[in-house]
Amino acid sequence: MTGEAIAFYLLAAVVTAFALGCVLASNIVRMALCLLGTLGGVALLYFLMAANFLGAIQLIVYAGGTLIVIVFGVMLTSRAYGTKLRVRPLEMIGAAVVTLALLAGLTAILVRTAGPVVSPSTPDFGVAQIGTELLSTYLVPFEVISVLLLAVMIGAAYLVQPEKK
Amino acid sequence: MVGIAHPTSMSNIEQLLVAGVLIPLASFLILALCGYRLGKPLAGWVAVLAIASSCVLSAAALVKWHGLDEAGRLAARSAPVLWAYLGSVPLAFGVNLDSLTLIMFFMVTLVSTCIFVFSVGYMAGHSDEIDGLSKFHRFFTYLSLFGFSMLLLLIADNLLLLFISWELVGLCSYLLIGFYFHKKSASTAAIKAFVTNRVGDCGFIIGLGMAYLYLGDLSLSGAAQAFAGQWQTHGPLFSQTFLGLNLATWMGILLFCGAIGKSAQFPLHVWLPDAMEGPTPVSALIHAATMVAAGVYLTARIFVLLTPEAQLFVAVIGCITLTLAALVAMVQTDIKKVLAYSTISQLGYMMLGMGVGAWIAALFHLLTHAFFKALMFLGSGQVIEGCHHEQDMRKMGGLWRKMPVTCGTFLVGVLAIAGAGIPAIWMPNHTPFGLGGYFSKDEILAVAYHRVYGEENVAADAPVGRGEAEASPHTGNTAVVAGAAPIQNPKSKIQNAALPPWLFWIPIIIAYITPFYMLRAWWLTFMGKPRDHHVYDHAHESPLMYLPLVVLALGTFFSSYYLFRPLVADAAPTPFLTAAFDGEATEAADAHGLLIGHTTHAALARIVGGAFVVGFFVAWVLYRRGLGLAEKLATALRPVHVLLSHKFFFDEFYGLVFVGGTMVLKAVSYAFDKYVVDALVNLSALVTERLSWISGTILDQGVVDGAVNGVGRGTWSLGGLARSPQVGRIRNYILFAAGSVAVVVLWMAFA
Amino acid sequence: MLTIGLTHYLVLAAVLFCCGLYVMTTKRNAVGILIGAELVLNAACLNLVAFSRYRTGRLDGQIAALFVIVLAAAEAAIAIAIFVNYYRLLSTIDADEGRQLRG
Repeated sequence: MTGEAIAFYLLAAVVTAFALGCVLASNIVRMALCLLGTLGGVALLYFLMAANFLGAIQLIVYAGGTLIVIVFGVMLTSRAYGTKLRVRPLEMIGAAVVTLALLAGLTAILVRTAGPVVSPSTPDFGVAQIGTELLSTYLVPFEVISVLLLAVMIGAAYLVQPEKK
Repeated sequence: MVGIAHPTSMSNIEQLLVAGVLIPLASFLILALCGYRLGKPLAGWVAVLAIASSCVLSAAALVKWHGLDEAGRLAARSAPVLWAYLGSVPLAFGVNLDSLTLIMFFMVTLVSTCIFVFSVGYMAGHSDEIDGLSKFHRFFTYLSLFGFSMLLLLIADNLLLLFISWELVGLCSYLLIGFYFHKKSASTAAIKAFVTNRVGDCGFIIGLGMAYLYLGDLSLSGAAQAFAGQWQTHGPLFSQTFLGLNLATWMGILLFCGAIGKSAQFPLHVWLPDAMEGPTPVSALIHAATMVAAGVYLTARIFVLLTPEAQLFVAVIGCITLTLAALVAMVQTDIKKVLAYSTISQLGYMMLGMGVGAWIAALFHLLTHAFFKALMFLGSGQVIEGCHHEQDMRKMGGLWRKMPVTCGTFLVGVLAIAGAGIPAIWMPNHTPFGLGGYFSKDEILAVAYHRVYGEENVAADAPVGRGEAEASPHTGNTAVVAGAAPIQNPKSKIQNAALPPWLFWIPIIIAYITPFYMLRAWWLTFMGKPRDHHVYDHAHESPLMYLPLVVLALGTFFSSYYLFRPLVADAAPTPFLTAAFDGEATEAADAHGLLIGHTTHAALARIVGGAFVVGFFVAWVLYRRGLGLAEKLATALRPVHVLLSHKFFFDEFYGLVFVGGTMVLKAVSYAFDKYVVDALVNLSALVTERLSWISGTILDQGVVDGAVNGVGRGTWSLGGLARSPQVGRIRNYILFAAGSVAVVVLWMAFA
Repeated sequence: MLTIGLTHYLVLAAVLFCCGLYVMTTKRNAVGILIGAELVLNAACLNLVAFSRYRTGRLDGQIAALFVIVLAAAEAAIAIAIFVNYYRLLSTIDADEGRQLRG
């Protein structure tokens, strides 16, 4: 067993465990914590796949930024701490059936269509290459997304402004 | 892969046009975002500045274009920018650069500039706040958006882009008709216009689908080429038939359906008179000069895709429209309604021209019509504004003393639409003189005459249509022959066949009616004695509003034969094509037996050359002493008058059939719900009740208590389950979507 | 089994996806639904990067994943802003309460 395989299985276990934690937790703060674990695990998987820059971005933007926003959201909105919001058991069963069916189907297809395992022959891409690509080939999506971010910033600020009296 | 054209890959002229399209868009954005802050006069001037600079740019482009020779013009067209793939069909957007685009672009921007300036004056007195919304800047926001989308429509080289801008102008039309949305009539009219247009667009989009499916190319030139290829190889478009017509014909008719809606052709003409609820500048710009003409423009662009049968369809629709509208216009008393019906009638002439193959003449008529109809609408706007929002001509009269400039410019418009001119046969040096309408309408009629009575068809010895489509694939509009059927389809049943004579004679008769109702409107408004002193005393005119009128009147005067006709004819690619029936232009009568055209028009001049005199005379006799004589006549011909003043009962008929039909459907489904569904529910309730009564009395309550509760709970959750898909919980929707995906995935995995 | 290939990552992503889906469909807390959506997006990202690594051999997958991350951040920001307003309006974060479209 290679080091990479060990690392993968370990990380996969961690990610799955945290994701299941998300599923099972009924407390919203715990769910956010489990999400943090999942995101971190996925970031480590990116490192494993030699996508170092992406892993760093995942940690900074996702775990650092998005999650903070979510935690803030939780704190701003869950004053009624004691009440548990649960769905009816029937819905839970339905969701479980659908999800498990989907998982079974997907896994079956993936395993069946799995080609021979080839080790990646690609070079490890550096930040410089990503930057060049972003500003040449993907310039238009890049610009569009920056405009989108600006719009989101303004929109979010507008949405949460105090009501005019 | 990224869809950005490098700026240098566009020719200068294209850059000018694209800039001309984008400037109104910028103005729209500015006004939409901070128009409120700009305030009352300033917001209007921003829009005026934008459209005026577009106009200057297009004039520059036109001058440049004029200096180019044939090769230079071909070179000025750059390859379109690949945007995306629809399946395997490439979707490339570019500028459709040819003379027609340029001249239309120039016309639209020039007329728009005049109307925008007029609007600044017009809206100054109209922009009351409604529901706390300032309306002034919103008006110019919409106008700028309209300018952008209309110009985009003109430069589109692609049916899809054309469709997008087509819908955009429809949206602007809707917004502007319903501009006074607090008025019930205005909002209803806006909805009516929108819905009626959707009916036509439905056909248009099916036609687009057919073009995508069978031609595999949505660009105008590519579609024309593919169409020619299908014709030569006798492809599925021509070999498959549906209801006795081949698919190519159906495609043409369906694409033309869009034009029927937008250009208010029979049977979808009902929206345009109601659209007069919008502010008058809007009526002038959108519902007279530019947007409604877009249907004719579309027909011109898809002309190469029309088979002879489809052309016949176009001609018949145009002929019916022009007849009905002109008859109704004779009895209308609302000044704007008269103009609206005359617009429909003139659009009918254009469609007739397209249908009989008078491509150049129809577009020439479009250009001249744009000027004089915008002029007359603005004149009526000035009158309405000056007369305290009085639109009834019966209350006007004698206004020429109060508004001399409006009166004079309006008369220019009346003369132009009536086709006033002095035919060459009565001029010593054989140079005809006349206003725009004189040449354009007569040319359409001349071509119609030739298609009906032409002994040897000019098309017979003309190497037309398909040949050129391949010879010059870069020119968008091939196969354009004024006066000849461009498509020599051997499979066609009516190939080169003479058209039915009424397609010529009815328009001739209507050509006598047109001057009558136009002079009637002018006379009732400006001449005679004042009939309502309240209106008369209030009347006035203001310079900001009549200056555009003067500009447009000059445009009407000069947009005549010698200036516009050659430019339109330029759009036809080969020199031969310009030469057909262009009236008295003697240089046209060269080879190909085209002298017939000359003599035809000369003969025609004897039939309709004096039509305007007759029409004017009748109107003058009837109305010179006010309304008395006309009212007597109306009582004498009562049934006819009722029929006409109710617009042939089209609205009533549609109300009865479509609205009534919907109501019947509603009643049927209501009855079904009430008597069938409810009965079932009641029945089950009854059964349950009986059952529970039986179980309650027969069985010991203590024993069954638990069971009953269990059943109750089960029913409850079953009901909840059945209800849950319909209560709007997002997560249930997600679950259903995921469940469907799961089924598909499982089927893929294990089946 | 011992050499890690594309399929391993894809199966892991499928697991992650299904967890996210389950979370989205069984939580009544609006923030919980958002967390589920984040899990689903992460699964998609993982797929993209894995394909980029094992199939295309180019940067396209990573760049796409980058865009997805940015979009997810934008989505979270807007969603939380909406939730704060929602909470202000209805004094609850229960997604079931917002069923009627009323101003």
